[in-house]
Amino acid sequence: MIKKLATTILLMSATSALAVDSPIQGQVQSKCSVWTETGGVYGHPLPYKLSTLPADGGVKASIRIDVAQADYYKAKFTHPNSFSSSPTLNDAVAWTGSTIVGQVSVAAMSAYEAAKVTYNNVTEFNLTLAGSTWFTVSSTAQYGSTKSLPAGNYTAIIKAECIAK
Amino acid sequence: MYSKVTLILSFIFCTSLYAHEMTPTYPKLVSSYIEGVSVAKMKLFNRRDDVEYYEIGVFTEDWKSIPFASTSKVVKVKHNKRKLFEVYIRSRDIARAVYICTESKVLKSTEQVTLISSRICSKIKQDQ
Repeated sequence: MIKKLATTILLMSATSALAVDSPIQGQVQSKCSVWTETGGVYGHPLPYKLSTLPADGGVKASIRIDVAQADYYKAKFTHPNSFSSSPTLNDAVAWTGSTIVGQVSVAAMSAYEAAKVTYNNVTEFNLTLAGSTWFTVSSTAQYGSTKSLPAGNYTAIIKAECIAK
Repeated sequence: MYSKVTLILSFIFCTSLYAHEMTPTYPKLVSSYIEGVSVAKMKLFNRRDDVEYYEIGVFTEDWKSIPFASTSKVVKVKHNKRKLFEVYIRSRDIARAVYICTESKVLKSTEQVTLISSRICSKIKQDQ
């Protein structure tokens, strides 16, 4: 009898617990996230050349930028024009590079590519739509006229910026 | 079969993704407990496991540096952790201060690579 009563009370209390609301709260803020998906790798196709182009054995850097609100941010990418670390170099290095729009989460974001502004080694994109955009950055360094690069490790820095408008 | 492949791929891609986030987009400067100094409260989220240090900076419209105070100009934020920080700006500099930025400090690499330095800048909301 006591067992039955206990079970009934337990069931009643359990069913009454189901009626209690347990809200999950969240907030979507306007924000920008810079995702470094793939850091680039330099290939060494020629004695005087380092390049992130796949044809040269390199890997291009891929950076994703997520914006939660449309038209709140602009993205700015600076491809390298110097090594952050390298063996001692006695001759000039000629740098080239580019930043292009890769994948997009909203089809209309493809228009970012035509509207981009490029100056020196900087490329700016106006992020007019909310969502994710993947940007591909490539970099090539040629040493001297055709001098061989000294043996050692070479590192260069790509700067990815998200600036509120 | 496809679901397994998708799961594996998503795991691979998820583990190789690193992000830098900072909010709010438009911080507001309010009076601090020090006379003649205003403060903005910021939040930094580090999802980059290759970065632990971020440098704070305050800049004018044309990217000239403005003096400011914070607990530290370079803050340590562990992977997947948030850091709340305050930026103190003198009242006489408020009109010129436009951006509050955090920039990742990348470690010197020993490989033949391009490192990615990320910077996020919020725009200070000026009272009308």
